[in-house]
Amino acid sequence: MNTDKRGFKSILLRHETILVLLLIAEVLYFNAAGRRFGTLDNGFNIVRHSVEIGLLALVMTPIILTGGIDLSVGSMLGLCAVLFGKLWRDAGLPPWLAGICTLVIGAACGGVNAALITRLRLPPLIVTLGTMSLFRGLAEAITQGTDAFTNFPPSFLFLGTGRVAGLPTQAWILLFVIVAVWLLVHRTTFGRSFRAIGFAPEGARYAGIPVERRIAFAYVLAGVIAAAAALTYTARFGTAKADAGFGYELFAITAVVLGGTSIFGGVGSVHGTLLGVAAIAVLSNGLSRVPAIMNTASELSGMLTGALLLLALAGGLLPKLFAARAKQSASSAAAK
Amino acid sequence: MRALKGVSFDLHGGEVHALLGENGAGKSTLIKVITGAHQPDGGTIEIGGQPVRHLTPAAAHKLGVACIYQQPALFPDLTVAENIALRLEPASPTRRVDWPTRRERAAKLLHQIGADISPDAEVRALSMPEQQLVEIACALGAGARIVIMDEPTASLTQKEQHLLFAVVKDLRASGVGVIYITHRLEEISQLADRVTVLRDGESVGTSAVSEMNEASLIKLMVGREVSQIYPPAESEPGSRVLALKNLGCVAGGVREVNLEVRAGEVVGLSGLVGAGRTELARILFGITPADAGEIFLNGEPVTISSPQEAVAHGIAYVPEDRRRHGVILEMPIAANMTMAIHPRIFPGAWLRFGAEQQLALDFIRDLGVKAYGPEAPGNSLSGGNQQKVSLARWLATKPKLLILDEPTQGVDVGAKSEIHKIIRQLAKAGLGVLMISSDLPEILGMSDRIAVMRGGTITAMLSGKSDAHDVMAAALGQTK
Repeated sequence: MNTDKRGFKSILLRHETILVLLLIAEVLYFNAAGRRFGTLDNGFNIVRHSVEIGLLALVMTPIILTGGIDLSVGSMLGLCAVLFGKLWRDAGLPPWLAGICTLVIGAACGGVNAALITRLRLPPLIVTLGTMSLFRGLAEAITQGTDAFTNFPPSFLFLGTGRVAGLPTQAWILLFVIVAVWLLVHRTTFGRSFRAIGFAPEGARYAGIPVERRIAFAYVLAGVIAAAAALTYTARFGTAKADAGFGYELFAITAVVLGGTSIFGGVGSVHGTLLGVAAIAVLSNGLSRVPAIMNTASELSGMLTGALLLLALAGGLLPKLFAARAKQSASSAAAK
Repeated sequence: MRALKGVSFDLHGGEVHALLGENGAGKSTLIKVITGAHQPDGGTIEIGGQPVRHLTPAAAHKLGVACIYQQPALFPDLTVAENIALRLEPASPTRRVDWPTRRERAAKLLHQIGADISPDAEVRALSMPEQQLVEIACALGAGARIVIMDEPTASLTQKEQHLLFAVVKDLRASGVGVIYITHRLEEISQLADRVTVLRDGESVGTSAVSEMNEASLIKLMVGREVSQIYPPAESEPGSRVLALKNLGCVAGGVREVNLEVRAGEVVGLSGLVGAGRTELARILFGITPADAGEIFLNGEPVTISSPQEAVAHGIAYVPEDRRRHGVILEMPIAANMTMAIHPRIFPGAWLRFGAEQQLALDFIRDLGVKAYGPEAPGNSLSGGNQQKVSLARWLATKPKLLILDEPTQGVDVGAKSEIHKIIRQLAKAGLGVLMISSDLPEILGMSDRIAVMRGGTITAMLSGKSDAHDVMAAALGQTK
């Protein structure tokens, strides 16, 4: 009895079908036009490059389901990356311990968002807009804008560049988070509560749902996972700088909305988000492999992602528009 | 549902004509018809001796009809002069604002009604009665011949009331006809020349105030038989489920409430809109926690500071606003029914779809919910069936105390009597039921005892065998 199974089945199915078709079209086109697109190596490459955005998009999904938003995830990634570097190099902690501390710091950052949103009842958009600047500013202050942490030991870099059982190491982390967030959203009372809050926050409160606790949970989870993304990001680049993950929050939100989650809350799915991430990741990777447009790939991919998003949003509205039209013409015909 | 059927009402220039009736008698609808917001589907309206057809808000405005609502509809961020200008100034072809004229007119109108308000004051900074005076100034400036006032004193202090009365008397002296709606009987004798009583959408009598007294007015307001058949009480009240001692909450405007509800009885909570009934329910359910007094559940003192605590204590609240609070319309009815029992039906937070399905099917059968299945979203159901879903959600918590807030509001007659039967069965099964209702026959037909609220506190405890007159008199604050 999944809430998205029946009432919204038609819409979601449609939406997800469109995304799958889009993804297939992308793969087919780039495979034909691109250079070395369809190789296993490139497949892994796409995964490596989309892990951080994927992680952020996954934890953004429950937040948007509650009708909220978290603009600070990219900055949290940056701050966590810098603090991880600091803990490892300056405090001399071994990478695994520094990593655990970083996850705790991420939870604390998410906790700041959660406290401001649930205690002071400030709108999430404004709160996280503020903490977006705050966290990024802190990261810059700590590194004085120039300091970068490098020369991490190979045992840590393995996280970003190595392989486990044939797959990129961080793919396993992503896989784990996918399964966990999917279960959370689709198989637990937490997911139920997120949707209920997104549809009707007061209604959820009157139903005895601990609205504040649930919302806080979603934001703290986002903090923890942003910290995890900071680790894979640092391990992939071998460097921790203050600008790590700059603008990632917008990619994550784009992927979530592209995946069919309503920005107004309530409706949406984790698998939709994954398809959204895949569509964006394949697009940007594929464009950089088509010789004719290679040089402008990043500009093009930004433009096309934006166009896709708008098309997806408009596409979601079309059935409603047609229904309204049909109703209108029917009633005017009846009036005549 | 017809909100109005057969209303005759006439207003002279230079009189204050009071309009009286219990909640839902059709006062608001009548006003909407006079101001052109609603179109009547029968009968005629004449203004100034001329029959009017197709009255629109704009046409009503032109004919000199102005309405001052309980909550003034001014722009808080603009000044008084700007607000008045927005109502009165025609759009000038050049779009230029003539500030001196604008101020001058505002000052003149305010002076005319004796209001000591600066035209340059921001409306935000004005008190409620001052805002009402600005509204009256607008009405005057528009050359209104008919001024409608909808419970203008509901949120005013004694002193502010006197100021307002003086303005109303001035309006009358200048030849304006005033339609004055109120729940306060004492205001009628102070202010009105004539009074018309509405009941069930009909006008049941118009007479000079000098010929009426409070008792005869109340009789006119309630004078109907309890037409419906209500299920009889079958249970003996048992132990005390709920006891309140001097309960109060400043934010909710509730003070010094003393009340008892026993297992197996239905206590009706009556009173006028705004008497604090829903606010009391919100306190008991932990939405606006109490800040004074004590709550005892089954004899134990408890504090309730959140809905979760209320649920844990065995309190269930079926809220008044079914569409916003009672049911989450976009979600399936099965999910709605299990929403208050997540920890119990889904141990470890894992959804168990089979158990949920079963519970939903049981309630759909037991309560006779008409829906295509447990997966039907709430908004595919009729009002009465949504109410049953809301009720099911709370029965699933196996409560000790069930608070029902307007349980049959906006519900068709068939579903209404079904809900009444369910309430009776629940009481028989040993629940304490506290039922808030503005439907007087429902209160009289269902209650074993009746608590009447007025001004945020319980002012009378009546037996279930009381008649409508007693309840209405207590609700209106008339002491015997």
